Amino acid sequence: MTVPATAPTAAAAARPAPGAARGIRRHLAYSPWLFAAPGLLIVAVFSLYPFVSTVINSFTDRRTLLPGHFVGLANFRELLHDDMFWIGLRNSTLYVLGVVPALVILPLLLALLVQRHIPGIAFFRAAFYTPVVASIVVVGLIWVWMLDDRGLINALLETVGIGKVGFLSDQWLLLVSSMAVTVWKGLGYYMIIYLAALANVPRELHEAAAVDGAGAVRRFVTVTVPAVRSTMVLVAALSSVAAFKVFSEVYLMAGPNGGPAGEDTTLVMLVQRVGTGLSGRVGYASALSVVVFVVVVALMLLVLRADRKEDA
Amino acid sequence: MRIARRISRRTVTAAVVLATVLPLSACGGGSDAGSSSDASGKIEGKITFQTWNLQANFKDYFNGVIADFEKKYPGTEVKWVDRPADGYADKISADAAGGTLPDVVNVSPDLLAPLVKAGLALDLDKSAAQYRKEYLPGAWAGDQVPGVEGTYAFPWYLNTGPLFYNKRLFKDAGLDPEKPPTTYDQVFDAGLRIAKQSGGKIATLANVPTIEDFGRYGAQLTNKAGTGFAFNDAKGVQLLTRYKELYDAKALDPQALTATPESAGHKFLTESVAMNPGSALDLGNFKKQAPNLYKNIGITDQITNTGKVNMYVMGVMVNSQSKRKPAAVAFGHFVTDATRQMAFAKQVAIFPSTAGSLDDPYFTKEDGTDETRVRIAAAKSLKNAVNYTPVQFSDQMKTALGNEVAKALQGKQSPKEALDNAVKACDRLLQQS
Repeated sequence: MTVPATAPTAAAAARPAPGAARGIRRHLAYSPWLFAAPGLLIVAVFSLYPFVSTVINSFTDRRTLLPGHFVGLANFRELLHDDMFWIGLRNSTLYVLGVVPALVILPLLLALLVQRHIPGIAFFRAAFYTPVVASIVVVGLIWVWMLDDRGLINALLETVGIGKVGFLSDQWLLLVSSMAVTVWKGLGYYMIIYLAALANVPRELHEAAAVDGAGAVRRFVTVTVPAVRSTMVLVAALSSVAAFKVFSEVYLMAGPNGGPAGEDTTLVMLVQRVGTGLSGRVGYASALSVVVFVVVVALMLLVLRADRKEDA
Repeated sequence: MRIARRISRRTVTAAVVLATVLPLSACGGGSDAGSSSDASGKIEGKITFQTWNLQANFKDYFNGVIADFEKKYPGTEVKWVDRPADGYADKISADAAGGTLPDVVNVSPDLLAPLVKAGLALDLDKSAAQYRKEYLPGAWAGDQVPGVEGTYAFPWYLNTGPLFYNKRLFKDAGLDPEKPPTTYDQVFDAGLRIAKQSGGKIATLANVPTIEDFGRYGAQLTNKAGTGFAFNDAKGVQLLTRYKELYDAKALDPQALTATPESAGHKFLTESVAMNPGSALDLGNFKKQAPNLYKNIGITDQITNTGKVNMYVMGVMVNSQSKRKPAAVAFGHFVTDATRQMAFAKQVAIFPSTAGSLDDPYFTKEDGTDETRVRIAAAKSLKNAVNYTPVQFSDQMKTALGNEVAKALQGKQSPKEALDNAVKACDRLLQQS
């Protein structure tokens, strides 16, 4: 049977009229935005607006209760001569250097330990994860009690004849103690990430390496580490950003002044101290926040660049 | 595709414009435009009253005050809001910046000063001058800000506290537990002795000196006009030098440089520190939490070289932007008048700021209990007490002083250098405020 030349084909029948086509195209252009609108609105109100507002404020001398005037780069020039800024930058940087390697390596070892399927292992997984869900204030207070001059740890040290150690009174020990708490609290979180990554490492690779005579350490170095390398980069990126922005642990252990003479102040603590309260210098605190943002972005880029170099 | 790109550009442009304009629109906070000192008119309408961590223990008292006020002034309604102690200043600053400051607010003078400068506090010398004579002159003056004319809050309750000491620790060090120190020099001498006798295990104090200590020691805190600080004078340097001596001898707790009043109180509770300032409220805590300490507790007057103890002042401010100023002023006066203050003082260990109230037998007649003894001694000392914290001394200034003091105690700079730096930092902060 021949089809009459004038009869419409199925495809042609399905094709909409030109006006309808424009409507569909318009609909297709708008509808994704409608779906995204609630999320975009939340991002705009709670992330974009505060961010842009902070950048604008950083060029003003705005105070908590007084409107600001445009002062150009005065705030940024002032922070270059502010001792507390350099102390904060030093401590935040030291925090990254002290905490990140520990949070990249220790959770991986912990994950290797608890990935085994042996009876009761779920209990240990849960136990290691408990600090993650505990409130940081509770965690901080517990550690303050333990590290106090008359706390549990000093009592033990005295019992074994070492004597009291000023965990909460010495500038450097305070910082190290805070780092230890950060590592302790973060171990479980990163352990879970590593557990997920380890589950994807093919067992055959380990078996092949074992057949070739590789021991546990060699298998870890040649099989496990390369297989979870991208996860390690992710952990390094996440933990370095968190470490640079550290506030709670140091605030709880070193006190609101930031340790003796403020020597343990971190950059975020400084932002809080300078920018809050009825006499808060919002403009100056905003300039500090912008610096924190720039450093955090630089840190992320650095980690990602290192990752790309490894890939190349 | 083209349409989508155009929308995207438009959206981005709109977002940038909005994000740029909105923050600028928020820059209007703090203006006193539209405010007026006129509080005349009918007392009516709904007002909000904010207190500072009082609801947990004094709910019935405040509900009674509010009910009495609403009964006295039909057509009024008071909404009571209570905020926790932690972050109270932050809450006020958020409300003040956001234009949601309550009509009547419980403030201390140091919180009041920035609100006055921002034009948010009503001048009571203009709006409520008729009530002035009801209060102690010193208390009324306590809510004035140097450099700004007027009085900006109704004086509310006053507080002062004794100094507690551990008689057992005094006795162990060979000191007479019945003769506690009364001057700073006596405290320092006792501290050095206790530290020596205990091999540095027992400290006498757990806090570094604060601005109040400099005041009680006799240092001049500000210049006469209140436009700059002056605690780096000879007396100030002398005080810090003696504290350094204590720190080196371990007569000052090793954690004093990072201590808060709460942590210092805890040290006293655990008997590792021999002296600690407090209030009559603490006696109950000692009895409950540290019975052994309570058995050995000694109570003495605040240490002062000036003969005048330190007092803390609370005030009740009226929001100058309030739409119900007559009702707000009336309530501010009502909650702080002699009747209400006296009733409140009988609920808790505070002292009224109203004229003549301290002569009430409640503050003069002994009944043999420790609580009454502390109350009577405190009420007596309040008659010539001083609020040593300058109203313009902000939290940032407290931190600056604390940090410089800590450097001096650690030997990183001399006491003179430390105080010069602290004064310089505080002056700079004052100019920026």
